Amino acid sequence: MQTAIDIRGLSVTFPTPSGPVHALRDVTLSIEAGTVFGFLGPNGAGKTTTILTLLGFLKPTSGQAFVFGQDCTATIARERIGYLAENPDTYTFLSGRELLTLTGKLFRLAPAVIRERAGRLLEDTALTGAADRRIAGYSRGMRQRICLAQSLMNDPDLLILDEPTGGMDPLGRMEIRRLIAARKAAGKTVFFSSHELSEVELVCDRVGIVAGGRLVAEGRTADLVKPGQSLERYFVDLVTAAAARSEGAP
Amino acid sequence: MKRAWTLATIVWLEMIRRKDIYVLFIMLAALLVAMIALDVFGLGQVTGYVKDIGLLAAWLLGWILAINTSIRQLPQEETRGTIFPLLAKPVTRWELIVGKWLGVWVVVMTAMLLFYLTTWGVVALKGGAFNPLTLIQAFVLHAVALAVLVAIGIALSTRLNADAAAAMAYVLTGAAFAIVPHISMLLAVTTGLRGALLNALYYLLPHFELFDLRRRLVHDWGAAEGLAVGGATLYGALLTLGFLLLAWIGYRRKRFSRGEIL
Repeated sequence: MQTAIDIRGLSVTFPTPSGPVHALRDVTLSIEAGTVFGFLGPNGAGKTTTILTLLGFLKPTSGQAFVFGQDCTATIARERIGYLAENPDTYTFLSGRELLTLTGKLFRLAPAVIRERAGRLLEDTALTGAADRRIAGYSRGMRQRICLAQSLMNDPDLLILDEPTGGMDPLGRMEIRRLIAARKAAGKTVFFSSHELSEVELVCDRVGIVAGGRLVAEGRTADLVKPGQSLERYFVDLVTAAAARSEGAP
Repeated sequence: MKRAWTLATIVWLEMIRRKDIYVLFIMLAALLVAMIALDVFGLGQVTGYVKDIGLLAAWLLGWILAINTSIRQLPQEETRGTIFPLLAKPVTRWELIVGKWLGVWVVVMTAMLLFYLTTWGVVALKGGAFNPLTLIQAFVLHAVALAVLVAIGIALSTRLNADAAAAMAYVLTGAAFAIVPHISMLLAVTTGLRGALLNALYYLLPHFELFDLRRRLVHDWGAAEGLAVGGATLYGALLTLGFLLLAWIGYRRKRFSRGEIL
């Protein structure tokens, strides 16, 4: 089985006026292709830093990260990635169809592929009727859906979702669950960062938990959580213990 | 370059749809009023005067348009957060910089074309004419000057916010426009530290006067030597490339953060 994400001893440190901030400390993680991976952690744990590093926005202070064998700092690594940010932002002066078309062009897709895929994604996200309207006139839910469609324009082998259900209504959450299931059925990898433990339990094959910039647990949910214990209880206990350890650390 | 072209398309669509283009029409109206209504000492009927006013306005408005539109391109992507979905695609930072530069340059050049056509139309209405070859040369060199100005604006905006980049760009290019053409004369009577400083300015600041054929047009001196125009174009292309490289150096390792990164 191919490895979709391979993170080796990854550390990211930010210099700040009050001293260095260690956003990630020696994180090592390997995710096989075709896995739906839930990446959990409290606010400020290092989830977004990990994602931004995988996308090449941040350079590791030490260690390396690979996406399908390509160093994540290389532009080519992003050919196979789709990314949906938390509270996604987009060009509101474009119509939904234009956004998808321009996205397809940035991935250098053939015009016929762009037309076919944009049409299908607009249909899948129930935006066909609004496809030629400017995004500025879309509701919040519609904007999230067009950004989701955009993240799928290259039919990515790895879909990175950063808190995708934040602020979504139950229908929107169900839509995301359906999407994740469809990606998994197609043999694609999904890296899913969230606070929503119930969502994670429902959709993920494996989970990783970060706290204080360290990966404190990783594995199948069934292996991590004791019988009768909820993922939420396990998560709270783990994160509390990690916080206590880091307070005691020099 | 295909990706840079796609990014340039986004710039054009934004400028048209955000009604930035209205500013252009206001500028065009101002230009027309200046040329038709101004009649100081009865000079309004002298076509040389009309040419002078029209071309001066085209240079001033082009300068403002080039700086104001270029300096906000990259900071705007960051403040509205669209830089994240954009650079999460296989788009290099060099492609982003070139795409932004190309987008702004084409818009500003199109605006200049309208200014030149307006000036040409008003001059024709008043019974005057431009030497066609000189007019084309003047437009080409003006377009090269605009390419340099846009590259300067983009380079400054990679490290400064839009306001600071605008201030710096106006100071830098204003000094280049106003001081550089006179430095050689000043150097004849200046020595010591002041002379060294003037020498440094002479070589560091762009020589925009090399792209300005207004006097040739106004006084009907005829077309410039092809070699001189080619040399100035090459100089402008090198300057543009130099500023775009500076922009890339400033931007290639830039860290972007959002939300709970720390």
